[in-house]
Amino acid sequence: MSSDYRPAAMPGSGRPASPYWNPYLAGIGLGLVLLAAFVLVGRGLGASGAFSSTVAWLVNLVAPAHAQSNEYLQGYLGDGTTHPLKAWLVFEVLGVMAGALFSGLLAGRARIAVEKGPRVSTALRLLCAFAGGILMAFGAHLARGCTSGQALTGGALLNLGSWAFMLMVFVGGYSVAWFMRWQWR
Amino acid sequence: MAPFYKYGFFGDEMSLVLAFVLGTGFGFFLERAGFGSARKLAAQFYLYDMSVFKVMFTAIVTAMLGVTYLGWLGWLDLSLVYLVPTHLVPQIVGGLVLGVGFVVGGYCPGTSVASLATGRIDGFVYAFGIGAGTLVYAEVFPWIKGFVNSNGMGQVTLPEVFDLPWGLVVFVVVLIAVAGFSAATLVERRFGDKA
Amino acid sequence: MKLAALTLNQKLAIVAVALGTLALFSVPHRGPVVTLDTRELAQIVEKEVDHVTPSELAGWIVQGRSDYRLVDLRTESDYAAYHIPTAENVTVAALPEFPFQRTEKIVLYSDGGIHAAQAWMLMQAQGYRAVYTVLGGLEGWKDDVLYPALPAQASAAERARFERAAALSRFFGGEPRAEGGAAVPATMELPKLAAPVPSGAVSPVAPRKKKKEGC
Repeated sequence: MSSDYRPAAMPGSGRPASPYWNPYLAGIGLGLVLLAAFVLVGRGLGASGAFSSTVAWLVNLVAPAHAQSNEYLQGYLGDGTTHPLKAWLVFEVLGVMAGALFSGLLAGRARIAVEKGPRVSTALRLLCAFAGGILMAFGAHLARGCTSGQALTGGALLNLGSWAFMLMVFVGGYSVAWFMRWQWR
Repeated sequence: MAPFYKYGFFGDEMSLVLAFVLGTGFGFFLERAGFGSARKLAAQFYLYDMSVFKVMFTAIVTAMLGVTYLGWLGWLDLSLVYLVPTHLVPQIVGGLVLGVGFVVGGYCPGTSVASLATGRIDGFVYAFGIGAGTLVYAEVFPWIKGFVNSNGMGQVTLPEVFDLPWGLVVFVVVLIAVAGFSAATLVERRFGDKA
Repeated sequence: MKLAALTLNQKLAIVAVALGTLALFSVPHRGPVVTLDTRELAQIVEKEVDHVTPSELAGWIVQGRSDYRLVDLRTESDYAAYHIPTAENVTVAALPEFPFQRTEKIVLYSDGGIHAAQAWMLMQAQGYRAVYTVLGGLEGWKDDVLYPALPAQASAAERARFERAAALSRFFGGEPRAEGGAAVPATMELPKLAAPVPSGAVSPVAPRKKKKEGC
């Protein structure tokens, strides 16, 4: 496909970055990992829960009384018998980091950079990234899961709420895309 | 009989090791697909690169066919695979907010982890934003708790809601996906020259 | 059209549609009909490894162990009148739908032994392996734990055992029956629920569990 966005090379590597995989092959790989999670542990993949565990742990370090009285954080702290970071999704997300780094190094795509369109300043792009993260956190918590935990996992299990959620992610995205085009094009 | 963990073939410690191993695979394929880059991801919403749709639906179809066949063979007890409970209205609102956050920030939680691991500063800032948003959410949770827990329908699947056989829904999803892939490729050709 | 002339993507699409079509005939969710390994079950019954004696159970409760779930199979009103401390109420009718984990150790009891044994079979049929019944049910609990009796002309060993049982009995609000049976209550009233378990020893509410699943 001629229209594919091409990755930039890793500086100093002396070789061009490999193109991304055929999306269908990457998708099959992703689907098989998801299937393995169903078969081995009886649950799907996720990501946002690991952020919740980390935040609960940090708040508990700084202000334990506050963390334990907060109903939402309490759910990620438990009764104190196990460490808050000893959670399935935390280990899974650590794996995501390792796997992505491995793939990025292998393909010559790992490099310190900011992903943005040519028309936007780095500072504004980072501000948008931060704002987007906040919105994402709210959306994911309202919906009980993010694109991994809801759309991908629930999609494969034909979960009603996941399909409704997935549809609305695209609706939400396309409805504001025009207003944000300066950031990407 | 699977899921192995729920049948007690291994304990909590082993499940955490598997979490890391499965995560490695997840991260590897995310990066292979190009999802460590916000520009590649955001392109989905500007129609010149529909990889997000293609990768996501291929993964869904693959895993869906997998659980269907393993369940049919009697090797996987689907009732033991965790299903997020459906709360329709909060999930619709959550999806909209998340979609906006996707376009504004360029990532979702999983892809931001893949991008920060490959050195993208915007991915790191985005992940930091998720943390900040989680903190704010936890503080306002008592006020929005009623809404978040409204419309509870329990663990419910599409075949159950529409009273259709599981296999028929699987078949329809596969057809929609394949038709969607060809349509997406046509859309890419139409909008690609603007990139 | 020759197969070799197709692109990889087209081949993948054909495979997906073929698998999707075959899936039309699939029945992935297990129905209520099951097959059981009858020999294995017979072995378990024969060896009596599926029992927990009332005294063993009492010991676990006193220790505050939480690696098992105690399930009262009787009606809600019976459960409200009296139940073994820490037990939760799941009637036999509600049992097939109750979301137990396959990895949990489940201890069942009813009034006598029959309902518990039948429920044990139901659980086995659903693929739960770590299921146990309280030997003698609630009747056994009364006889062995709440109102233990000292046999006439007891030996020293029997006396020592009775002393231990008596302590356990008082812990659960029962009344040990000493020699001669003079202290045997006529009706063997069950202790009032509010009183029996000293606070601190056993927590009546389950500890707050950490969120384990979901995104």
